[in-house]
Amino acid sequence: MSLQTDKREFNERTTDGIGNPFMRNAVSSAQDSLKTRRLTAAASLGDWEQWRTLGQQIRQHTLKHLDYYLGQLADNIEKKGGHIYFAKTKEEASDYIRDIIVKKKAKKIVKSKSMVTEEIEMNHVLMEAGCELIETDLGEYILQMDDWDPPSHIVAPALHKDRTQIQSVFTEKLGYTGDESPENLARFARTVLRQKFLEADVGITGCNFAVANLGAINLVTNEGNGDLTAAIPKTHIAVMGMERIVPTLEEMEVLDNLLCRSAVGQKLTSYISVIGPSASGETDGPEDFHLVVVDNGRSDILGSEFNEALQCIRCGACLNVCPVYRHIGGHAYGSIYPGPIGAVITPLLGGYDDYKELPFASSLCAACTDVCPVKIPLHEQLILHRQKIVKEKRTGAVERLQMKTAGRLLSSRVLFGKALRFANPASRLLSRHGRIVRGPELVRGWINTRDLSQPVKQQDSFRAWLDKRKGGAGQ
Amino acid sequence: MTVSGKDSFLNHIASKLGRERIYDVQRPDLQALAPDSYGSLTADELIEMLKEQCFFIHTQVIESNAEILQQTLDDLVAANGGGSVITSGDARFAEYGLEFANASVWEEAAGREQNILRSEAANTAIVFADYALAESGTVVVESRPDQGRALHFLPAHYIAVIEKKRIMLRSTRAAADLNRRIQAGELLGSSINFISGPSNSADIEMKLVVGVHGPLRAAYVLI
Repeated sequence: MSLQTDKREFNERTTDGIGNPFMRNAVSSAQDSLKTRRLTAAASLGDWEQWRTLGQQIRQHTLKHLDYYLGQLADNIEKKGGHIYFAKTKEEASDYIRDIIVKKKAKKIVKSKSMVTEEIEMNHVLMEAGCELIETDLGEYILQMDDWDPPSHIVAPALHKDRTQIQSVFTEKLGYTGDESPENLARFARTVLRQKFLEADVGITGCNFAVANLGAINLVTNEGNGDLTAAIPKTHIAVMGMERIVPTLEEMEVLDNLLCRSAVGQKLTSYISVIGPSASGETDGPEDFHLVVVDNGRSDILGSEFNEALQCIRCGACLNVCPVYRHIGGHAYGSIYPGPIGAVITPLLGGYDDYKELPFASSLCAACTDVCPVKIPLHEQLILHRQKIVKEKRTGAVERLQMKTAGRLLSSRVLFGKALRFANPASRLLSRHGRIVRGPELVRGWINTRDLSQPVKQQDSFRAWLDKRKGGAGQ
Repeated sequence: MTVSGKDSFLNHIASKLGRERIYDVQRPDLQALAPDSYGSLTADELIEMLKEQCFFIHTQVIESNAEILQQTLDDLVAANGGGSVITSGDARFAEYGLEFANASVWEEAAGREQNILRSEAANTAIVFADYALAESGTVVVESRPDQGRALHFLPAHYIAVIEKKRIMLRSTRAAADLNRRIQAGELLGSSINFISGPSNSADIEMKLVVGVHGPLRAAYVLI
């Protein structure tokens, strides 16, 4: 998989999502449940807004001094006997990882969930090199077994699948003979994956935050698969986006609390770990530890008008409140990063050629901005994208003409008044039973999913009514 | 131990930030900025908070004391279905005079393979907590030659003994103390684990399932 999960047109993808009642039901109930849990967890901490401000300040401070903290991290990892590699591109990152694997003659790899490894297409590169690579996060494992079905949510990747579908995948691909209960399906996966951990030559993880003054990485999980991945194989390769770093454990603690509460409504997830190369005398953990720091387009965001997007801590809270995500689902975004944050960062990482529609997949209700634990102004960034896309003339010629016409009409009192006068007679041919049922593209886009009432007759309009009352107030 | 591509990478970042590389940064004082959401709590209130939180994270809490600790742990191991036990090599096991039948110990001399195999074969792991965090029901444990990482994740059941004096309000305090040790130049273990109950997942229809990878059950014993 890569950043792009679906090459079809955006309209096709959203039509698919809107026409999938199971997915919509699953997404909306997950949204409701996660939203409630988040609110409870935030309230229990108290002063939530102040904690958000603190989170924002930590992220902004770190980004502002990113070169310093990455340098400090590198020095401390080196002191501990680990290796750190700075990759400018996804190819450099994947090639470096493949070279380690080849050098070690490694064949079996266990992996814990990591979005940046998807971004750099690492799985594909390693499997081409002849390795068996197993995703160990239960949701990701389900997707892998289902022929690498793309994830649909940042923290709940298999949200779009029900238990019957999962049972069928396990039966077909793994010879599972049990029923469809989540407990039995999970227990079965435990047995299979436990063996994989014990046999693995290399473990690969993502990194929630690197801790600069410690020279270590932080993993936040509920299943413990990240810890087993980093504990058992002799080689551990961690991959991080270059912005995912904190100065010390104290900043990490604040962000982990914001992350856990915002993502899954827990005070802390079951397992939060800070790990690095094995220390002297320790008998497990990696004898060989590599951290790969990935740029892959992030430095172009740094210092730009989209700088605040780099504050993201990948909690997924913005997805859980988004009315658009609720209706179209994660796959419709065509990116490993769905939802509002995906609509902001995917075009930045992947370019407008493939992703110019995403910033328009928003109602601009600002619920995402309100919920973001590190205060990224998501809806403002979406507007910024839209402005740039329009300025670069990437919208269709017809749409531009329609918008230009609408702009002229709406900015002129005289023209607007005339248009209102003729709106009713002009719309008669397009209407049925008081509703507009056909029209040009702009109108079609609206009436495909919503009602559009026929404009009222001039004599029934509010303006006519007001004109009649002028000078006669109180009649 | 290598560092590759550092300088050109970091120079590029600095240029994107519109300046030269910097080599000294004063980080903001977080203690002054972090809200105090709870105020001061007594030791008893912290214990009550820990017990209440453990209910939500599916973790059993048993109050014991030094005199009956052995019996408490034996009962818990039996409740887990007996089987083999693995403990860390923590000196506190000897201090409290603890011994278990059919037990092994995580030890440097056993080496990687043996320690991992012993942990995988064990039905119950028993460790002592370095810190315990009341608010989240968390124990904090650090890796050492006598206490590996896999010890906490491979056995089917997990028991952490918590000395009441090690209970603190929340992760802020533990992080601050650990960071103080780092800044003082102390070498910490290569793995610091914040463990809050058994392994769980909600990946299938958002239904919480306990024990996907790590322990199926967790219990804390307070002394």
